[in-house]
Formats: sequence, structure tokens, C-alpha cells
Amino acid sequence: MPEANPPIFRRAVIALNGGPVDDTIVRLAIEMARPPHAELVAVHVVELDWTQPLDADVAERSEEAQRVLDMAEGVAEQLHARLESVLVQARDVGAAIVDEAEAREADLLILGLPYKTRFGGDFAVGRAVTYALKNAPCAVWVVREPMAKESK
Amino acid sequence: MTPPRPPLHGRKLGDRRVVVNRPHSAFFRYAGPGVMVAKAAASAPTTALGRRLARVRAFVFGKPLSSAQEIDERLTKKLALPIFSSDAISSSAYATDEILRVLVLAGLAWMTWSIWVAAAIALMLTVVSVSYRQVCRGYPSGGGAYVVARENLGPNFGLIAAAALMVDYVMTVAVSSASALANLATAFSAIAPYKVELGALVIIAVTAANLRGVRESGNIFAIPTYLFVGMALLAIGVGIMNTITGAAHHLSPPPFAEQAGTQVFTVLLLLKAFAGGSVALTGVEAIANGVPAFKPPEAKNAANTLIIMALLLGVIFIGLTFVGLQYGVQATTAQGPTVLGQVGNAVFGNGFLFLMLQISAAAILFLACNTSFNAFPRLAAILAQDECMPRQFAFRGDRLAFSWGIVVLAAVAIVMLYAFDASVDALIPLYSVGVFICFTLSQAGMVIHWRKERSSGWAWRSIVNGFGAVLTGVVFVVVAYEKFFTGAWMVLIFIPALIAMMMFIRHQYAASARSLEMKPGAAVPQPHRHNRVVIPISGVNRAVVQALNVARSITTDIRAVYVSADPSRSDAVREMWAQTVPDVPLVLVESPYRALIAPVVAYLDVLDRSWPDEQEAPITFVLIPEYVARSWWERMLYNQAAKQLRAALLGRAHTVVINVPYRRDEARAAAAAAAEQPHPAGTLVAADDDLPR
Repeated sequence: MPEANPPIFRRAVIALNGGPVDDTIVRLAIEMARPPHAELVAVHVVELDWTQPLDADVAERSEEAQRVLDMAEGVAEQLHARLESVLVQARDVGAAIVDEAEAREADLLILGLPYKTRFGGDFAVGRAVTYALKNAPCAVWVVREPMAKESK
Repeated sequence: MTPPRPPLHGRKLGDRRVVVNRPHSAFFRYAGPGVMVAKAAASAPTTALGRRLARVRAFVFGKPLSSAQEIDERLTKKLALPIFSSDAISSSAYATDEILRVLVLAGLAWMTWSIWVAAAIALMLTVVSVSYRQVCRGYPSGGGAYVVARENLGPNFGLIAAAALMVDYVMTVAVSSASALANLATAFSAIAPYKVELGALVIIAVTAANLRGVRESGNIFAIPTYLFVGMALLAIGVGIMNTITGAAHHLSPPPFAEQAGTQVFTVLLLLKAFAGGSVALTGVEAIANGVPAFKPPEAKNAANTLIIMALLLGVIFIGLTFVGLQYGVQATTAQGPTVLGQVGNAVFGNGFLFLMLQISAAAILFLACNTSFNAFPRLAAILAQDECMPRQFAFRGDRLAFSWGIVVLAAVAIVMLYAFDASVDALIPLYSVGVFICFTLSQAGMVIHWRKERSSGWAWRSIVNGFGAVLTGVVFVVVAYEKFFTGAWMVLIFIPALIAMMMFIRHQYAASARSLEMKPGAAVPQPHRHNRVVIPISGVNRAVVQALNVARSITTDIRAVYVSADPSRSDAVREMWAQTVPDVPLVLVESPYRALIAPVVAYLDVLDRSWPDEQEAPITFVLIPEYVARSWWERMLYNQAAKQLRAALLGRAHTVVINVPYRRDEARAAAAAAAEQPHPAGTLVAADDDLPR
């Protein structure tokens, strides 16, 4: 495929985790979605442990969780793009993202990946990205945060 | 919490998720911890009529713009030039005429002095432009002469500059629309009797265009300005070429000159010619007022645009004067052909180019008022921020324009048109007087600015500005003297009146700020004053019970007041009250004169007087039960007495007035619930005659 041709997709799910890469992946998704007029769905998953029921009143009251999606909406508004936002509560972030992408028949899943090292050693990809890469039926893009200078 | 949605199952057994509602997201967006930003939907009207009106407004003025879009509304230099320069550049179309009309009084031979007078005015234009260029850079928040004078000469000198400018902006609108109509009337005599009405329509049209936002009005008005600049430069270029090639021939003198040679050529006459031609400088200051309207870097773009404007104005003014001199163009009466017209005719003949030159000149004269529509509201906004004008002037409208300033400018200009019957001759003496006051103050302010700042080159800059201050000061004196008895005296009354008004507003805002001021860091103690509630009632009904419930959440000192014009009804109300609310005292006030409001107010007075003097006065909450009507015609049927009572209690000391609304839907729900259960004795049933009056 020539590099000049942008990848074609119809509907993309953007998984947001409230990290510094969120802004980048939303902007990227919006720019890539323009030529094919693709739909964009931003998803943020609030993970609940087993001490609480799945429908516990957590995310709706969480300003922080709402703010993650509001940031994405703000970027979309600024770039004059349409973006649907979905807030989800689940036991496992990776599974919820993949299930949401599948339920919405998305043909692209975009995830941001903070650059984290496990105990100051190896770079850790994290469970959610690994799950998505293994299980998502659609294409998956992972955008990694740049390394901090001291990490190089 | 909104009801939870049922869990959704995932592709693997045990993977479940719940989609959570986001009730705020339709109207608000979180922008930071504890910070919400209202979306467009939060500002949208909620009633059908309001939505229809909003659609009409959006059609006429455009869709509302958010504050974040302000940067997109900023002007490029290409767009700012026609917006802020149409006034200044248009004055080149008649400034030479003003010089020649004075010089001709000394005889035709002295007309050659016009080029020297024009050169002196160009020198003054250079000094003023250089000065305002420095103002743009030194005071990037805009405000021009007002801010310079305020910062360097003191706030009252700032007000003088502001008042002078504002009067001149109003006059620019009135004069330009009147002169555009006068030009049209010479071509279409049928419109002459309707000049005032058409002038008002013209101003309303420009107002509407400006209310659509500064960028959109710029797009509308840019073409005529550039067309005039192009045609004038072409005429000058062809004229100079003809002069060089010897093709320029003297024109036959126009039939004007019965006044020629009636006066002796003196320095005073020369000064008069200089002052007359100085109208070319009107509008030069507009860019310095509107620096924040430019795209970043604002100050640099504004300063460069100002220089381009001054160059264009200088070249067109000097060029027309020079070419006119080569063709022997002479002054005519106000109704005769203009210098521009004569030059165009001599250079282009009577063809298409001449027609284009005349049309573009008429258009730019008409559009000169657009500069005022951009400069006046910005100046008023800065004055409002300084609390010298009502605060509304600083608010931006739906399209980010300073709507109040635009509308007030239009209204005052229309009043001026009516007052002077749209007569250019009557309006002209009031024009271009104030602008020289502001030039003088701004230059004098800059002298002090340089002396205080002592940056590199401060000495020569001070000298340039000092020279400019003296020059423009002399022009002001000459202009005021020349025009005083023909109308400028009115300007010299308007300006002090405006200053007095602004000082009064500033005093009022300062007084209210003092009375509202809190000591920084002072902890506010718990209130310790006694609270009591008075509920004026019109009967015993659910609205009253709702007000009682609210009252109980405030205090236990509650009393209801029933003012009765019909003693036969009082007993029934008292009996029902005693059954329904036995713990709350009811005060029955018989009103044999049938007044409803005054007895309630008098009762509150009595309550206040009966309070012991040694104790701090209590806070009296007056709770007014109100039945909420659903439509406009229903609203006329209810709550009229409540409205009167609210008005009567407005501003009353130690009194808080609270409306307690009761909706019909609540009434129906309560009635339905009551219908399902047997009625105990004394149950309230809402009857229409019991509803709040």
C-alpha cells in the first residue's frame, strides 16, 4: 500500500484512559477520519473490583471519569468533528473496550499507551493493550507516549 | 442517579459491562476539577417562541459564536485595512476640495499653493501616523488616544479624548450616510424627500452587517474600499504619465468662481486652508483603538496596517492634489463637481473608468461610517471596562461583536440625521472637531510616555510627538474657530456633557464597589439575626401550603396575612386555615377600601416598628405563593397581585422576597393522588378562585 494513502475505516473506537496520550489519539483519529467521513466513538472504561456491584453509582458521579470523555468532546468541537462518547463500567478494561468495539461493529480500535516501566526495569505494555491486541476482531492501533528523557 | 442500564454481555463468558449515563454532557463539559463549560445547548432557548426567535436571529445575524472562536474572528491585515481605513482613505476624496475652496478666495493665482498645503498636511499625517504606530506597539490592548491620555496625562484627560472621539464617530456615521444620500439624490431626485428615512435605513443595514461580526462585515465592505484605492491610484498614475508626456491640458474653469479673489492672501487664510485639508486625517486613529481585533502578533500587524493606510492616504491625497494642479482643476461649490471627479474626467474622459471611479468614490464615502462601527464599540467597551460607561458595552453579543456599542452608535447617528434633516451642510461643521482634540492629547501623552520610559531614541521621539501635539493643537483651534458659529459650538457642548456623564457613571460604580467591598481575608461569621417569614395569601390552597413548607425550612417564626376586601369570605378562610395549619398564625386584615397591596406593606411596617429598638432588626422573608401558568394568555389571569406586591417590596430594608412557584402539573398529580384516597376532613382542594391573585 503506498504510504500516501491513508487507511480506510468506517467506524473507529478510541479507547481513552485519562492519560497524556488521549489528546494525541483523539486528534489523530479525527484527522484520519476526515477523508472517509468515518464515525468516531470515544470509550472510557471505569474498572470496578468485585467489592462493588457492576451497576454501582461510581462513574456517573465521578467528575474525573466524565472529564476524560469531555476532553475528547472538546477536542472534537475545536476541530469541528463529530464524536460520540461512551462511559462504561466493567470488571476488566481490555475486555470492555474490545466488547464495545465489537458491539459497535468498529473496524478500527485506537488505544493510547503510556510509557511505563515495571519496577524501573522493562517497558510494560499493560493488560488492556495486550488483551485488545490478542482479541479485537478489528484492526488495532496503539499510540505509545514518547519516552521521558531520563528513560532513554 | 439516573436508572442503571442493564448489563451488556461480552464475547467471553463473565465479561459484562454497563454503559453509564452522562446526564450533564448535553449541556456542559468538564474542563478541569470543579470547572464546567456550558455548551451551546445550555444557552439555547427552551420555549417554542424562543426557538423561533433564535432561528430568525441566526438567519439575520448568523449563528452564535463561542468565545473560543474569537481568534478565528480576528482580522488579517488585508481585511483590517478596508475595515479600519475606509474613513481615513475616503477623506482623500474631498480633502483637496477643502483646501482649494479656501485658497480660491485669495484668487486663482494662489491655487498653486494647494500642493504646499497638501505637503504640510502630509507631514502632519506622517507625524500622527508614526505616533499612532508607537501607540499600537506601546498599548496593544487598544483604546488609542483614550488609553494614552489616561495613562500619561491622567484619567480625566483620557475622558476628554474618549468623549471627543465618540462624538466624532457619531458624526462620521451621520455625515457619511447623509453625503451618500445627497450624492444619490443628485442622480435620482425622487429620493430627495425621503433622505432622512433612507439614511436611517442605510445605517440600519450597516448596523445589521456589523452585528454579524467584524470579519463578516469586513468581507462585505472590503471590495468597495480596494476598488476606490485601485481606481484613485490608476487616475493618479495616468495623470502623472500625461504630465510627463505633456498630454495634460488645462481644463476650462467650472462655473463657480464668483467668490474668487474676494480676500487677501494672509497667513490666516493659509491656516484656514491647512485646517480645511486636515479633514484628511480623520479616521487615522481608528486602528490604534482596535489593536486586539487583529490576528497575532496584534500590535505588529496593527502598526503595519496603519503605515499602509497612511501611505495610501498620503499618496492618494498628494497625488490628486498634484494631478489636479497640472490639469488646472479648480474648486467648486459643494454642489459642483469634486476635484476627484474633475481629475477623473480629465484623465479617463467620460468612459467606463470614470464611471467606476465615481461609483467607488460614492461607495467608500458611504462606507466611511463602517470604520466608526468598528472603532466606537471597541472604545466604548474599554470605557466600560474602566467603569466609565455602563458595563453592558463591554459584553460581546452572539457574534462576538460589541452589540451594545453598535446599536447605540446607530441610534444616536439616526437621531442626528433626524435632527439635522440629513443635511450635509448642517452636519459638516460638527464633523472633525473632536478628532483633533484626541490627536493633540495622544501626542502630548506620548511625549510624557517617552520621557517616563527613557528607552533608546526617546529624545527624538519626544520631539516628533511634541511637534505633532503643537501642530494638531493649532489645527484644533483653527477648526473650532472657523466652524464655531456654524455648528461646532454644539460639539463643544456635547463633549463636556459626555465627560460629565462618564464621570458620573464612574462615581456611581466606585460608590457601589465601596459598599460591596469585602476586607481581604476577613472570615464571615455565622448570621445571628432573627429570621421571620410572612406569607401573603389569597385563600387556602396548595400553592399556599407549598409556600408554608418552604417557610418551615427557614424558620419557625411564620405568619400568614390574608387581606380581605370581602368580610363574608374572611370567616371561611380563617376556619379552613385553623383546620389545615393550626400551628401557623393567620393575620386577617379587613380592607374596606379594597386595597390589597398597601395593607400588606403597612403590616410589614408595623411588624418592623414593634421590634425592640435595642435588638438588631430581623430579616423578614416575604414568601409569595405563585401559580405557574403554562402559556402566555394564562399568565395574564394569575399572579397580578403578586407582581404588584413584589414591585412594592423591591429594595425594602431587611426584607427578602421569595417567589414560591406551584405548577399545574404538580396540582394535577396531587389531585390524582388525592382522588385515589378518601378525603379526610379539611383536605385542601385547589379551586380556581383560590389560586394566587
